[in-house]
Amino acid sequence: MSKRGLAIVGIGEVPTSRDPERTRWDILLDVCMEAVRDAGIDKNQIGAVISNNPMAQPSMQNDMSLGKIPEVMGLEGCRDIAICNAGGASTTNCLRLAEQHIESGQADFVLVPHTTIQSDIPAQQLINFFATAPLDKQFEYPYGVTFNGSMGLITQRYMYETGATEEQLAAVTVALRAWGALDPLSIFYGKPITLEDVMNSRMISTPLKAKECNLLADGGGAMLVTSHDIAREMGEKAVYKRGHGTRFMSATPFMREDVFHRKAYRESSQDALEQSGLSIHDMDLRQIYGAYPYTQCSALEGYGVCEEGQGASLWADGRCGPGGDLPCTTMGDATGRGHTGSGVSMAFYLDTVRQLRGQAGERQVANCENAILTTSGGSVMNTCTTVFGRSPQ
Amino acid sequence: MSEYNKPLPEIQPYSKGFWDGTRQHKLLIQHCNSCDANIFYPRRDCPKCWSQDLGWIEASGKAEVYTYSVTLEGVEEMFVEDLPIILAWIDLPEGIRMHTNLVECEPEDVHIGMEVEVVFRDVTDEVTLPFFRPVKK
Repeated sequence: MSKRGLAIVGIGEVPTSRDPERTRWDILLDVCMEAVRDAGIDKNQIGAVISNNPMAQPSMQNDMSLGKIPEVMGLEGCRDIAICNAGGASTTNCLRLAEQHIESGQADFVLVPHTTIQSDIPAQQLINFFATAPLDKQFEYPYGVTFNGSMGLITQRYMYETGATEEQLAAVTVALRAWGALDPLSIFYGKPITLEDVMNSRMISTPLKAKECNLLADGGGAMLVTSHDIAREMGEKAVYKRGHGTRFMSATPFMREDVFHRKAYRESSQDALEQSGLSIHDMDLRQIYGAYPYTQCSALEGYGVCEEGQGASLWADGRCGPGGDLPCTTMGDATGRGHTGSGVSMAFYLDTVRQLRGQAGERQVANCENAILTTSGGSVMNTCTTVFGRSPQ
Repeated sequence: MSEYNKPLPEIQPYSKGFWDGTRQHKLLIQHCNSCDANIFYPRRDCPKCWSQDLGWIEASGKAEVYTYSVTLEGVEEMFVEDLPIILAWIDLPEGIRMHTNLVECEPEDVHIGMEVEVVFRDVTDEVTLPFFRPVKK
């Protein structure tokens, strides 16, 4: 049997929240078991466990890196494990490695889990982590920069070059929170906000206001993946990877020539679309993991959905949120769902699966056949773009 | 000098020249003698051609604001006394972009394209940080 291709056939996720009473292992076991049951396979059919490295969770990193998951869960068919760390692009790398296990014939099914608890880590420690891990400790950190500050710098320039207004960018957050308000897995479920709420929230790092910055939260999710051929026998639950492209820019934000990542969004999406035999206009859903509002605009410009500089007006005109004709980021991004570290990218894949399966509830995109998804790690060091479809080709 | 409680740059062997320069109130840019590239931040090897024949040129100290952001909250405790902090990326005529703070000005006076110049602050006996301030017309 051909072992080619990658398909997601099982998903599990816990609601994003701030609940230090839940342990990291409780979340991990719950999401893994849910994914296995969702796929309808036996646990001993899992041939490998490729974990998403949880940022700032050293004990869990060690457990995941050194084989605790198959041992604790009794995965008797597991032939190997590994952990992937590329920050917010970790899940993408887990899928790449999982595909290699499948194509080489070593595994029919691969489990890809993530778990994170940030609510038991002091705020000052988290500010320090996000200021030092993705930023330069010699030429940025001594200047009092935070992650919000770094993204504020890029957002200011985006507004300068495109003429996008603070109100237009605030509309991005309103739309992301509107998606989150409809999603039981979002920390903001049932909590939509208005343009005034965003505009009147405290200024953090100009032009970014409190509602436009991320709430660090706890969460976890898991996927079960297999080859296209095996997935085809599993019926409607399968969602197929159709194409993938990726571009790296820089680790350090000020080193980036492609400051809004448009070229990286464009080239990575062109590669993914070309492999899938589809056009950007065939995409029923665009899922953009950028964690800050400008990325939701510049990605649409890079994809070729609109002209450069027009991204913010699409959001401001209500076209990308619930009820719009260009639904984007139904997952809510970190701003609309809660930031679970490298788990945000996991949740993006899971939400894309739900949309393509028709299981997205009130957020369901009508006739969702194909979706494009971009994840990024660090300070948006890269753009990893994948096209998924309900059919394998 | 009162005790400086903020993070100091983690100086590397190959960036020592830069920080030795700031102590003498000179802004030095690493320069590749093989391919003529100006390099920032300093490395062991030229990122363009991998030459290790690297030296230093003195920058004019003039620059232009590429972008800025005024941080009002959310910093680590030791930076709270400095709020608001004006973060900026500045472009040097030597083809270098740096991250810095703008000082000796009010947040509302800052704009993209503003001409700035380097100003040095000796934050400890060993470390001098370069900041930038508006050029007085």
